[in-house]
Amino acid sequence: MMLARVADSLYWIGRYIERAEHISRLSNVMLTASLEQSEAAAEAAHMALAAVGDPDEHLAGRTPFEAVRAMVFDRDDLGSVVSSLARGRENARQVRDQITTETWERLNMLYLRIIDPQAEAEFDRGQSAFLHDVVADLHLFKGAADATMSHGEGWRFLLLGVYLERAQLIGRLLDVCFGEAAGGKPLQDHLAQMSLLRMACALEPYLRAYTADLQPRFILEFLLFDEDFPHSVRFAAAQIETHLLRLGRHAEAAAHAGPERLAGRLNARLAFADPKELTASGAGPLLRTVSDECARIHQGVYETFVAYPLEQRLPA
Amino acid sequence: MNKPKIQDADAVPAPQLFPTAAYAPGRAYDEMFAADGGVRPHYAALHDRMATLTSAELAERQRMLEQLFLLQGITFTVYGADAATERIIPTDLFPRIIPAKEWAQIEAGLTQRLTALNLFLADVYGDQKILMDGVVPRELVLGAPSYRREMRGLFVPHKAYVNVCGSDLIRGEDGRFAVLEDNLRVPSGVSYMLANRDASKRTFPATFKAAGVRPVERYPDLLLATLKSLAADWRPSPQVVVLTPGVYNSAYYEHAYLARLMGAPLVEGRDLVVHDNMVYMRTTTGLRRVDVIYRRVDDDFIDPLTFRRDSGLGAAGLFNAYRAGNVVIANAPGAGVADDKAVYAYVPDIIRYYLAEEPILPNVETYLCREPAQLDHVLANLDKLVVKAVGESGGYGMLIGVHASAAEREAFAERLRAAPDNYIAQPTVQLSTAPCLTGGRIEPRHVDLRPFILCGEHTVVTPGALTRVALRRGSLVVNSSQGGGSKDTWVLHDDGGEPPP
Repeated sequence: MMLARVADSLYWIGRYIERAEHISRLSNVMLTASLEQSEAAAEAAHMALAAVGDPDEHLAGRTPFEAVRAMVFDRDDLGSVVSSLARGRENARQVRDQITTETWERLNMLYLRIIDPQAEAEFDRGQSAFLHDVVADLHLFKGAADATMSHGEGWRFLLLGVYLERAQLIGRLLDVCFGEAAGGKPLQDHLAQMSLLRMACALEPYLRAYTADLQPRFILEFLLFDEDFPHSVRFAAAQIETHLLRLGRHAEAAAHAGPERLAGRLNARLAFADPKELTASGAGPLLRTVSDECARIHQGVYETFVAYPLEQRLPA
Repeated sequence: MNKPKIQDADAVPAPQLFPTAAYAPGRAYDEMFAADGGVRPHYAALHDRMATLTSAELAERQRMLEQLFLLQGITFTVYGADAATERIIPTDLFPRIIPAKEWAQIEAGLTQRLTALNLFLADVYGDQKILMDGVVPRELVLGAPSYRREMRGLFVPHKAYVNVCGSDLIRGEDGRFAVLEDNLRVPSGVSYMLANRDASKRTFPATFKAAGVRPVERYPDLLLATLKSLAADWRPSPQVVVLTPGVYNSAYYEHAYLARLMGAPLVEGRDLVVHDNMVYMRTTTGLRRVDVIYRRVDDDFIDPLTFRRDSGLGAAGLFNAYRAGNVVIANAPGAGVADDKAVYAYVPDIIRYYLAEEPILPNVETYLCREPAQLDHVLANLDKLVVKAVGESGGYGMLIGVHASAAEREAFAERLRAAPDNYIAQPTVQLSTAPCLTGGRIEPRHVDLRPFILCGEHTVVTPGALTRVALRRGSLVVNSSQGGGSKDTWVLHDDGGEPPP
């Protein structure tokens, strides 16, 4: 049992920190790639910018360095790292009684660090080190949550937010590289392929699974369908299903057309998909399904747990 | 023991930190030094420890302390021009120490006072005997803005109207404690008491251990037990919640802190639903009954149907559910009438009336301007007195005669004559001073004392308190809204310095 408002906040903490982590990683990879004198540099920048939803708007004209600076520090941009952290922390402050002190401290410390007036100067001195630390701190946050919070309802809402956000973010990144937006142009450049894997935090696990033989087909397969890799869409979908099944156990019968059914369907679709089909028709349709289903699950979570109509729940 | 290591050639000798002359307590009572300049025995250990620390070491400890508060988010929010910023309440390194014998007197005095005030509330919302007998003027009580006629004749469990009380005590020049204010509505500061204790255990571990300090850490579970005792008679396992105005309230940290340590949900008005005179909270699995509400929202805002209509902080219908006996609100609405500034002057009489005892803790001398003779005295001595408006708090509508100009005093005198009922006056009390670290030096600063008393089935005084500090030299204003700070308060097990076996 927990307050509906609290569950909502925990869910959003999960979403915001996952978003902050993803954007930080993307920015870091993009900056590193931009050091190369090749096509790949531009391609990595295009990938990153398109994946944050800004293909040809205000960031496009800037140098990679300036673009990344804005992606990290621009408070007016709701998708920036600082905005995500500020909102995640604001939500955490509202449910301060529900998360452990250890967990709260990680997030609060990171937030205080990034809004510090010295933060931009520190960033300018070493962008890569700065972004690396942000990602590492967010890992610590997740680790502290895992190690110190009860793995009950609150924790599940937090992770539900993390994995739903992750499924959408990885889905969007793949869509930029393999979907309709890519125009069927395969990702040929070796460096660009490496960048993509790095952006999905997947380079080392991929190498172990497929060796250093980089193939666009394998990369897509790995990031979509791998069962064990935590940043694959399928893994995220399986986690969403697990958490929703456990959460739904207590919700009242009225809700049973609810989000766990949608999550189960999405998970099955990814688990039993035929990779060959993907080669034939392109990844576009499947990626669009992922995105649509995630939006529907989000809606379902709200209707079941947070913003349910009172009339159905009043005691007779 | 460890001998000092070989010194670097360029090491500076540690500056002598504590020359008594530099400390220079004023004419106020000093917590650490007796009038003859000697260190009071219960401060001896701390004094010796302080003398061994250089100012660099002190500054480092102070910095660590502030970092700890910031990290934990023990902050209050200040709203500025463009963005809200969070600040920590300035916290001082050195604890304030109260010997066991003095504490025993404070404890007895506070228990006596709260017992009498609860009896008074039960009476003025019941038979009103005290008004019939003319001990307290009828119009003073019934005309007070904090009097809630909606509370007349309602059942209040254990007749405990005030469940959480945070009285403000001060120590005058003669060294005696007196009560300056009874905070009976939604007193705050208890989280600072607990956080300060955490911090001082880290900054002075050995001194702390040797001193034999009574623990305050049980406050949250005692609070929970108190709240549960209010509903235990008809609900086997009462659901307790903490009602907060929300994250933008300056005391939000405290609300979340208490909820977390009690294991009670922290609810906002929008989480509550009243149906059929029952209060429910919206949870992920449906509606769940609420039995006891520890509200940190003022009377005026708890129910827009009964009190202020424009309030979005409460729950519509809450008061009706309370009236029906289906939920307990702590502290009870209307408890504020007993800490009204004019009623305050009658508290010693209230104690004598109900308990037939002499008050153990005195009041600060108070002149009621409604009495013509006292008004004359106040007008003749405006330059020595502090005049306060009865209905106001937080330092508004107040004249500090000593610091005011002649013109200001004259203007205030006009207001006094126009509406004498509205004002009380008190002599300017020199609060006692305690050593504080400011700007790398140790200096005396004025302090007060806010202990916390719980009252449900039983009355419990927490053996500790929040000591509030006026940070500016010579200032007597300790309110945190006016730039006050705080420090930990050690209540000793016994004055020998050793805990009992």
